[in-house]
Amino acid sequence: MTRINALLVLALVATAIYLVRVQYESRRLFSELDKAHSQARHLAMDVERLEVEKRAQASPGRVERLAREKLDMRQPTPAITTYMSYPNNTLAQTAKADKP
Amino acid sequence: MSRSIQYTSSPLLASRTPVWRSKFVVAMIALGFSGLGARAAYIQIFNNDFFQHQGVVRFARTIELPANRGRVLDRNGLILASSVPAASIWAIPEDVDMTPAQAQQLAKLLDMRVSDLGKKLADEDKTFVWVKRQVDTDTAKAISALELKGIHQSADYVRQYPEGESAAHIVGFTNVEDKGQEGVELFFNRALTGKSGLRHVIKDGRGRVVEDVGAVVPPLPGEDVQLSIDSKIQFFAYQKLKEAVVNNRAHAGSVVVLDANTGELLAMANYPSYNPQKRANLSGEQLRNRALTDTFEPGSVMKPFTIGIGLETGRVKPETVIDTAPGSVSITGVTIRDAHPHGALSVEQIIQVSSNVGTTKIAMQLQPSEMWTTFAAAGFGERPNIEFKGAVSGRLRPYKTWRPIEQATASYGYGLSASLFQMVRSYTVFSHDGQIIPATLMKTENPAVGAPVFSTETAAKIRKMLHMAAGPGGTGPKAQTIGYSVGGKSGTAYKQIGKGYGSDGNRKYRSWFVGMAPIDKPRIIVGVMLDEPSAGKYFGGEVAAPVFSELVQHSLRIMGVQPDISVRPQIFAASEDESF
Repeated sequence: MTRINALLVLALVATAIYLVRVQYESRRLFSELDKAHSQARHLAMDVERLEVEKRAQASPGRVERLAREKLDMRQPTPAITTYMSYPNNTLAQTAKADKP
Repeated sequence: MSRSIQYTSSPLLASRTPVWRSKFVVAMIALGFSGLGARAAYIQIFNNDFFQHQGVVRFARTIELPANRGRVLDRNGLILASSVPAASIWAIPEDVDMTPAQAQQLAKLLDMRVSDLGKKLADEDKTFVWVKRQVDTDTAKAISALELKGIHQSADYVRQYPEGESAAHIVGFTNVEDKGQEGVELFFNRALTGKSGLRHVIKDGRGRVVEDVGAVVPPLPGEDVQLSIDSKIQFFAYQKLKEAVVNNRAHAGSVVVLDANTGELLAMANYPSYNPQKRANLSGEQLRNRALTDTFEPGSVMKPFTIGIGLETGRVKPETVIDTAPGSVSITGVTIRDAHPHGALSVEQIIQVSSNVGTTKIAMQLQPSEMWTTFAAAGFGERPNIEFKGAVSGRLRPYKTWRPIEQATASYGYGLSASLFQMVRSYTVFSHDGQIIPATLMKTENPAVGAPVFSTETAAKIRKMLHMAAGPGGTGPKAQTIGYSVGGKSGTAYKQIGKGYGSDGNRKYRSWFVGMAPIDKPRIIVGVMLDEPSAGKYFGGEVAAPVFSELVQHSLRIMGVQPDISVRPQIFAASEDESF
């Protein structure tokens, strides 16, 4: 009888300690998860910021200026454009719809 | 012998302790325990709420989850406005203790004057002061690297506008609280604004979040708003307008580009404009979206409507000849003149050379009610239904108050007023087979459903006349483009100076051009207006038509429309004799 009791006390103490440990572990993991979440949010905001920056670098105004000044390009006119028609297949219908 | 307790059997250790003493100790211990029990009951049962609350206050926190403001996109999904993270710098003046060198450094980073910075931090009674709001993240990092005492940062958002001044009037801007103040930002403020979420958490001693309590309310990000604007066309329109305003030494100008099939606004620009990111010292002159808020008498732009009524009711035909000699006509004692006397003109030629006398003679055959009904159906005198706060209605007085001379002047566009946008939209009547279509700032795929004003035939006849007006012998041949047939009407008017229109040599003008292309099946309608051109040229056909021409050509090319008139190709295949 005493032996069983002693065993039960031991088991109780062991599970109690284990419970404390699990609780601690879960909080630690949760705080890590939370940190990761907030990092993800920061990264997402960074993506947005970079996207806006990229957009600002590629704005029509800047592209045009660079093309004109650095690459010596000019606006094309219909006189220097060859217009092609779609080949005579199903695409022809869509092409016709687009034509003025 | 008195009663005593024997602690041991050894007579040597026998002490004579009275019994009451041990009883007293037991009683004291019992009292101690019951005290603890009572305290426990007090904490756990009677005053439980108070202690629970105190506990929660110490470890539970409510975190607000900020929601992003939606983006404003152009028709191709390019960003016109978006929120990016930023930092706001604040200070507790009492705590601030900087050396002059540090102050200099900080002021330099913040792009402020040292004296201004000093002023902000001077009042030591204040416990909180914004030093600068919404500085970019790089600057914020540099500032935190300085490790200044009393200078703090908090996370914030700042709105970025990659298109800058070219789309400023359409997109508008937000204030530091992220609320829309102008343009689309204002009109769609509710949709763009997100709803921030909430989260209840438990934090440990080091401030780390260790547990969620209850359900998390996720943040609801603001919706993106996709506009019908094409940023390429928008930029080009702004650029060309700016050049024209500068070259003609004009006071201001506006352009509007409308899709003739869907009623989508492809571009709308005004000059002077402003950079929505640097809004210090802005004036109303720069802020105003003139294309929608400024009205003027549409002048010759109205003539096609008057002629249209004549054609529609069968009173005249395009070939009907009307005698405009001697270049003037008298209506109830008031003389209406043409710029140059013309003699006999066909109805087509009246539009082509823009004869006031010819138009008046046709108008005199019409009922005022017919004219009013048509003008009103074309959107004059009515606030346009467009996604913009502050669009004006212009003025179209009820026909019952028209005197004969007013009917005559209204026929060629005087005595009523409209914004450039209204004029451009009214021309959908001619481009869209006689139907006026609603204009929109939102991207749509479907062709617009219009309300009939004229018949398809009348619209086609007027288009032909507009084509003649923009051709050789017309008032706006400079509107012609390479590759695309155009049609349109120019207008020039004296501006009011005080009570009159000024005297010769001291006049102010307003010049404009409204037209469409390609003329047989128009895809776009373009309107250009210049306010007070003062570099010598002032006719609409001289100053506004060239801008129209460039815009039409560029826009149609971007839209992938094939030229409808033949172009002499300038592409030559270079060939060289083969050498042996």
